[in-house]
Amino acid sequence: MLRSKSIKGRLIATVVISQALLAAGLLFAGVFYTHRRLVAALDAGLQARAMSVAALVRYTEDASGNLYFDDSLVPRSLDPDHPDFFEVWAERSGLLTRSPNWPAGMEIPAGPDHHWNLTLGNVPYRVSRVSHVPVLDREEGQFFQPQALTIVYASPLIRVQEQTWAAGVFIAVASLILLGATVLLSLYGIRRGLLPLQRLAAQAALVSARNWELPMPAEAEQTTELRPLTDSMIAMLERLERSFVQQREFMGNAAHELKTPVAVLKSTLQSLLHRPRNSEEYRAGVQESLEDLERLERLLQWMLRLARAEQWAHGALRRDLELIDITATCEEAVERIRGLAQSRHTSIHLATNGKVLLRADPEDLQLVWLNLLENAVRYSPEGGVVEVAVTRKDGGPAQIIFQDHGIGIRPEDLPHVFERFYRGDPSRTRATGGFGLGLAIAKALVEAYGGTITAENAPTRGTRVTVELPLNGSN
Amino acid sequence: MRVLIVEDEPRLAENIARSLRESAGYAVDVATDGQEGSFLAESNTYDVVLLDLMLPEMDGMQILTRIRQAGQHTPVLVLTARDEKESIVDLLNAGADDYLTKPFDLGELLARTKALIRRGKGQPSPVVTIGDLQLNTANRTVQRAGRTILLTAMEYRVLEYLAHRPGAVVSKTELLEHLYDYNWEKFSNVIEVYISGLRRKLDDGSDRQLIHTVRGQGYILQD
Repeated sequence: MLRSKSIKGRLIATVVISQALLAAGLLFAGVFYTHRRLVAALDAGLQARAMSVAALVRYTEDASGNLYFDDSLVPRSLDPDHPDFFEVWAERSGLLTRSPNWPAGMEIPAGPDHHWNLTLGNVPYRVSRVSHVPVLDREEGQFFQPQALTIVYASPLIRVQEQTWAAGVFIAVASLILLGATVLLSLYGIRRGLLPLQRLAAQAALVSARNWELPMPAEAEQTTELRPLTDSMIAMLERLERSFVQQREFMGNAAHELKTPVAVLKSTLQSLLHRPRNSEEYRAGVQESLEDLERLERLLQWMLRLARAEQWAHGALRRDLELIDITATCEEAVERIRGLAQSRHTSIHLATNGKVLLRADPEDLQLVWLNLLENAVRYSPEGGVVEVAVTRKDGGPAQIIFQDHGIGIRPEDLPHVFERFYRGDPSRTRATGGFGLGLAIAKALVEAYGGTITAENAPTRGTRVTVELPLNGSN
Repeated sequence: MRVLIVEDEPRLAENIARSLRESAGYAVDVATDGQEGSFLAESNTYDVVLLDLMLPEMDGMQILTRIRQAGQHTPVLVLTARDEKESIVDLLNAGADDYLTKPFDLGELLARTKALIRRGKGQPSPVVTIGDLQLNTANRTVQRAGRTILLTAMEYRVLEYLAHRPGAVVSKTELLEHLYDYNWEKFSNVIEVYISGLRRKLDDGSDRQLIHTVRGQGYILQD
């Protein structure tokens, strides 16, 4: 199943996701930075406390240079639940003192000055080692070598963690509030931004087969992003309307053309039944009806041919077509029309100049040639000549010219001869048996192959029809 | 009655003409192009014109306009293959009295033609009554004082024409023009024969004469 997608939903999702990523990044950076700063501050505090512990180391009163730790002035722990602990080492005397709560069995190996973390019974501690601290107590007239001290001081990290957490919560809450505000703002913005689209849709919904007008809402026309849409909508509507009008005209003409023979047929049969007739009259009536039916049948055939030709006009080039010789199809068409030509004492002269190859369906081309030849023969005077010439312009299209020496086409009819059902003079063409579809079929087929067809009155006398078929890719 | 058919499909025109002649006894002229149709319509007086729209030379609409511009009141029945509302509205506005779309029923065409002729002569009912004479144009029967009178086809046509113009003087030429097609002139002597035949049959057993002769002018049908 296809899920419907919402532009609004996508934009909101994009905004929310990017904002959430931003908030997460901010939270992480904030927490990281706060923690770093707090730990650094704690480290400084640890150093200060180590110094104050160092200040409690004194020399003994004798001149031995031994040291002792005066534990009466040990600074109080900041957090009574998790008291600090420390140890003091002297350079020569070794371990001088340890706070009473020094974890049993824990030994800190000697090393350079630094800070590190330590967990004791689920309580995190920060430990600091400070070395080369001189003993502050100095005796007058000292003759022994002074000792340096190394102090390890540890304090719980709990407060730092609590403060870091508080900072994190603050940043997170602030980000959430900002995120909510952004979503609301962007919702408003998107809704306003999509308004022209809705107006456009409302207007487009009013377009129908009766009303092709699409008044473009000003907002839609002023919106840059909608321009391509509105432009193509207008163009599409124009095309649709044109083809719709054409289709309707065709339907009207087809109805007219079909109704007339049906009316004739119906009236013949009704008048036959109107009163008793003798068998001769019945026979004549049935004969007439049959002729009318045949005419109707021919008309239907022509209409189907036209429909097929126009259908192919959209798909001809997509079919798999073989290379065929245009000249050969012309020769064949001339052969097929010869019967009609002879009955009217008309001769056909075909001038060719070798093969002209084109990817095409030979049936299509023959249909074109037959229609043009039939017209030429029908409008030629008794005993006239129809000239057909197949030529190929250098590198250009194939050119097939049909020339008769008949009555020609009335100038006012020239622009319309390729229209469906167009008959310059209905009585004349009806007498010659045409339906006004032959040229329309020829045009549809020629255009299916990307070609052009034109009709003109020859300067001398008669009509000249020129077909040009592009050969690109065929030779 | 005399009818003009303007229709370019010769077989259809012929079928309509035949059925009008056979079942209504009308005189029928046929024109197969617009020029001829227009010429006939303007140079003769018809009781109804059946007009096709798509015609060579001059289309039906033009003929209709010309007939009406010439001030002719002849009823016009248009035969059309198109049934779009617009064109029908245009037709009626241009002066057509009725229309039929192709393919139509010959019976309906006949009935409409008769109705148009009646109305064109101010006779809304198919049964015309003059005194004790009753003429039914639908089934072509004539009764006088309840007694059915059998008439020949031509006698009936003469009586029908007179009955459609009761109380008016109808000249012999008018009768000829409306009862025969374009070559009526060669029938000029037969009217007296039909009138006397009619008088004999109608007035049989009655003391009142219905068809009167107006000397030098023509005939008049009245009680």
